[in-house]
Amino acid sequence: MINARACATLNRRLGSVGLASVLIYGPSPRTLQAWVDNASCTLFFVFQLATLKPKPSVSSTINTHHDDVTCTYCGLLCDDLLVRTDGMTVTPLRNACAKATAAYADSSARVTASIAGQPAALEQAIAIAVNLLRKARQPLVAGLGADLAGLRAAFALAEHCGAIVDHLHGSALRQNLKVLQSRGWQTTTLSELRNRADLVVLVGVNVKVNYQNLIPRFLSPTAALQAERRRVRRLIYLGPAKGAPSACGELPLDTLPCDTDALPTLLRALQSALAGGAAVSGPAKRRKLLVELAAKIKAAAYPVFVWAAGQLDPAHADLTISAVCDIVASLNCTQRAAGLNLGGDDGGQTAVSAATWLTGFPLSVSYAGNTLDYAPERWSADALLQDQTVDLCLWISAFSPRLPPGAANAIPTIVLGPPGMTPAKNSVYIPVGTPGVDHAGQLIRTDAVVSLPLRQLRHSGLPTVADVLERMLKALPT
Amino acid sequence: MTAKVITELRGGRVYDPAHDEDGVIRTVYLSRDGIAAAPSDPATIKESIDISGCVVMAGGIDIHTHIGGGKVNIARMLLPEDHVANLIVRGEHPRLGSGRAAPSTLTTGYRYAQMGYTACFEPAMLPANARHAHMEMADTPIVDKGAYALLGNDDFFLRRLAAGADPKEFQDYIAYTLRAAQALAIKVVNPGGINAFKFNQRKLDLDEPNTAYGVTPRQIVRTLAEAIHALGLAHPLHIHGCNLGVAGNVETTLATIRALDGLRAHFTHIQFHSYGTEGDRKFSSGAQAVAEAVNANPNISIDVGQIMFGQTVTESGDSMRQYAGSAFASPKKSVIMDIECDAGCGVVPFKYKDKSFVNALQWAIGLELFLSTRDPWRIFLTTDHPNGAPFTSYPHLIRLLMDASFRRDMLATIAPDAAAASHLGSLDREYSLYEIAIVTRAAPARSLGLKNLGHLGVGARGDVTVYVDNPNRERMFATPRLVYKAGELIVRDGEIVATPRGATHVTRAEYDSAIEKTLDAYFATYMSVRRRNIAVADTEIEDFGHSPLIQHQARRNAP
Repeated sequence: MINARACATLNRRLGSVGLASVLIYGPSPRTLQAWVDNASCTLFFVFQLATLKPKPSVSSTINTHHDDVTCTYCGLLCDDLLVRTDGMTVTPLRNACAKATAAYADSSARVTASIAGQPAALEQAIAIAVNLLRKARQPLVAGLGADLAGLRAAFALAEHCGAIVDHLHGSALRQNLKVLQSRGWQTTTLSELRNRADLVVLVGVNVKVNYQNLIPRFLSPTAALQAERRRVRRLIYLGPAKGAPSACGELPLDTLPCDTDALPTLLRALQSALAGGAAVSGPAKRRKLLVELAAKIKAAAYPVFVWAAGQLDPAHADLTISAVCDIVASLNCTQRAAGLNLGGDDGGQTAVSAATWLTGFPLSVSYAGNTLDYAPERWSADALLQDQTVDLCLWISAFSPRLPPGAANAIPTIVLGPPGMTPAKNSVYIPVGTPGVDHAGQLIRTDAVVSLPLRQLRHSGLPTVADVLERMLKALPT
Repeated sequence: MTAKVITELRGGRVYDPAHDEDGVIRTVYLSRDGIAAAPSDPATIKESIDISGCVVMAGGIDIHTHIGGGKVNIARMLLPEDHVANLIVRGEHPRLGSGRAAPSTLTTGYRYAQMGYTACFEPAMLPANARHAHMEMADTPIVDKGAYALLGNDDFFLRRLAAGADPKEFQDYIAYTLRAAQALAIKVVNPGGINAFKFNQRKLDLDEPNTAYGVTPRQIVRTLAEAIHALGLAHPLHIHGCNLGVAGNVETTLATIRALDGLRAHFTHIQFHSYGTEGDRKFSSGAQAVAEAVNANPNISIDVGQIMFGQTVTESGDSMRQYAGSAFASPKKSVIMDIECDAGCGVVPFKYKDKSFVNALQWAIGLELFLSTRDPWRIFLTTDHPNGAPFTSYPHLIRLLMDASFRRDMLATIAPDAAAASHLGSLDREYSLYEIAIVTRAAPARSLGLKNLGHLGVGARGDVTVYVDNPNRERMFATPRLVYKAGELIVRDGEIVATPRGATHVTRAEYDSAIEKTLDAYFATYMSVRRRNIAVADTEIEDFGHSPLIQHQARRNAP
C-alpha cells in the first residue's frame, strides 16, 4: 500500500516543478492537482499492492545453452555468442567481450515497480504515469534505450503527447549527423572491413573500453575473402597513448600518440602529408612518422578509418570526423578507402534510424507543435533538462540500469529500466525486460545497414518497453 | 456469398484490362473479402454508392519505387532540407511526417493511398539489409509491399561463378535468398560493377571482367536470368544494367537485350540507359533504338524511370555510377557505401533543370520511350522514385502521356536545343484510360505474379480506386474520390479515413537445404554475422511488423 507520506512526497515534488518552471510554452504554473489528479490517485492507492512476480516457466528452471546469440551491449551487435541460461542467470560461455560478460552478470532480483520510492503494482505505476503524461505541458521522451518495437511505441506515444524526443547518446550521435548533413561521407561496413581492408586506422578509438571485439572478431581472424589483404593487414592508432590497443593478435601496429582534442590538427597534417607533405609542420620526428604513415595509407588497397563519436572530445568531435571524411574522399579520387563509425550503443543506431524513417528526421525532434520540429541542438535532452524547459521526463533505458541525468531530479520522471534501479524520489519506476535477454526483439547495428534479431534467453516475466508504452498510449485520451 | 456485408459501386465506367473491360458501365461489388459477384440476396448490400460519371480502376501498383531500406533512410538523414520544407501539419494525415523526395515512411504510405495506389514494391533490397528494409516497409501504412533482393555483386555469387559452379547451385542460392531476405523477386544492379568498384574499377562494360574474379557482367546476367527461369519465378530478372547515365550506353542496353537471347528479363528505369553520343554535345536520345528492340523482343519488359524537373535525391545500389555522379550533387553532399561483401549504395541529391540540355533531353527520352513502345503490357509507369522524380509526380506524368497538346506546351518550355534533338514533338500518341490502367495496374500485377491485385474480377483483393472523370488528367489522378484497400474505404476525396496494414508479398521457391550448410560455413568463416541470424524469419514480418505475409509459390520450368 502506498502510504500517505510517500504520496505527499511525490505530490510535493511534482507540485514544486509546476511552480518553479515557467515554460517557454506558456506561463501558467501548475499545482499538485494539475500534475496528479487526486481522484484517480486515491482510486489507485486503494488497490492492494501486488508485486510483479516472474512467470513460472519450465525452461527458466533448467540449464539451457543458446548458440549464435546476439549481444545487445554495444553497437557492434556481435551475434556469435554462446550463452548458458540457468534460471534467471545468463552466463556467456564464448565470444562475449569483458563488457558484455559484466552486463549479462548484472541482473537483479528486484522487479517491483515503485511510485515515489514506494513499491507499487505495475497497473498503479502505469496509471500514475498516464496521469503525469496527461497533465504535462511539455514532456520529454528521453533515453530511448529500447529495441525497435519499444522505439516504435515511444514515437507513437511522443507524438500523441506532443513530446520532445532524444536518445541517451544523442550528443555523440549528433556529431556524426552534423558531418553527414554538411558534407556526406564514404563509408563501409564490418564484413567489408574484415575481408577487404589491408590497413585500418583507429582514430581515437579505445577498444579497451568499448567495441572490445573489434579486433578479435573483425581484424585478427586469419580467414578473409581477400587473403592477401589479410596477410599484409596492419593497424595504425592515432589518439591518447593509454587508449592504444594492447592486443592486436599478430597484426603490426603503428601508434602516433596525440591528445583527443588535438586529433583534428593531426588529421589535417596527415591529409597534407597524403597530398605531398609540403605543408606538414611540427617536430621533425613526428613529421617523419606522419610521412611514413601517409606512405602506408597511399600504398594500401583499401584503408579503413574507424572512429567512435562517443569517444572523441565532444567539443570538436565533428572536426575530427570531418577531417577523416575529407581524407577518405581525397583518397577515393584515385584509389579506394572508406570510413567506419562505431557507436549506436543502447539501441542508439536503431533510435536514429527509426526516428529518421518515422519522422523524416534523425534525432532530436519535437512533436510539440503543429508539425514536426527538427532542431538537433535545441532539443538535446541534457540541455532541456538543465534549462527546465520540460516538465516531465519519460526515461527509457532497457539495456542498462542507467538513471536519467541528474537535472531530471527537478521534475517528475517516469523511468523504464531493468530491475534493481533506484530512481529519484519523484519518479514512477517501471521495471522492464532487456531486449535480447528477457524478450525477443530487433536492433540495428552501428553501420546502419545490418540489423539483427534478439532472442529471449530467460523467462523473467518482465514487460517489454513496447508493452508498457502501448498500455500508456491506450489509456491516454484521444 | 450470403453472409457478407457488401458495398456496391454503381454507375461508374470500369477500366479492367485484365478482363478486357474498357470503360464498361457496371456495378462493382466489394466486401472485406475482396471483389464479390452480384449478390443473390440484395439484402446483403449494406451500402450503395452512385459513382456515375466516375472512372473505376483497381488500386495502382508501383513496380519500382525506393520506399524502404538503408539507402532510402540515408537519403532522409542526408537531406533535412527536403523535410523541413515539406512538413505534414497535424490533421493532414493520421500521423505526422515530412519530406517530398525522400518522405518518411508514414507520409509515403498515406500519399500513395491518397493517389489511389495500394501496392508498392521496393526494388533494391540488399540481403544484408533485408531486415531493415522490412522494418521500414512495415511502417509504411496502408499499401501492400514487397521487395526485390539484389544479387550479382556479392562475393559469394562471384566466387562461385568464377569457380564454374553448377547451375543448380545458383538456383538454390537464389531460392534461398528469396526466403532469407523475404523477397518477391531478384534484381541485379550494375552486374559485377558494384563489386568491381571495391577493387577500384571505375567502369565495367558488358564484356569487361571484374579484376578480382575475372567474370563479366554478361556472365552474371545470363547466370541469374537462366536460374530464375528454371525456378519459374513470376517476375523475371529485374535488370539495372551497366553504365547507367553514361552517354552511349544505349549500345550496352541493346547488347544486354541480345545477350538474353530470348530469356525473359525486365529492364528497369531504362530511360537512364538510353543515351547516344550524337550531336555537338555527344549526348543524344537512344529511345527509338531501345523502343524498337523492346517491340521486337517479347521476352523484354521495361519501366521508364521518367525524370521530372526539380529537386530530388538519387539513391541506388550502384555505388560505382553514383560515385561518378557525386560530382554533380546538388546540394553538394553525397554518401557512398561499400556494404557487407554484398553490394553497395550511393545517395546523391540532384536537381533536374528544364534549361539544362542534358536534363531536358532526359525528360524527352523518357517520354519518347513511353510513346514509342507499342505493347503497354510490357512497359510500366515509374519515375524510379525518387531517382527521376518523387512518386507524387505521377498525375503530372499521366497527363503528359494522355494529352498531346499539353505535352507540346511543356516541350516548348524546355531547353530548345534539347527539344530540337528529340523526336518527341513528332509523337502524337495519347494514352487512353485503358492503357493507363494497364501500365499502372494490370501489367505490373501480371509481371509480378500478383493474382489478386491489379484487376477488378471476382476474387481480387478489393483494392479499388474511383476517380471523378476530368479532362485535366493531372487533377483527376491526383485526388481520387474513393480508394478501397481490401474492401475497406481508406480515402474519401483525399482524406484518409482508415489505415489498415498492408500485406508483404514474397515468393517461395524450393531449394536443396545443402545451400544453407554451405552458407553457414561461408558466413562463419568470412562474414560479420551468422547466416541464421541475417535470415529474416516469417514471425519478424508478421509479429514485429504486424504485416500479413502473402506467399507466392514459384513453379519450376522443365529444363
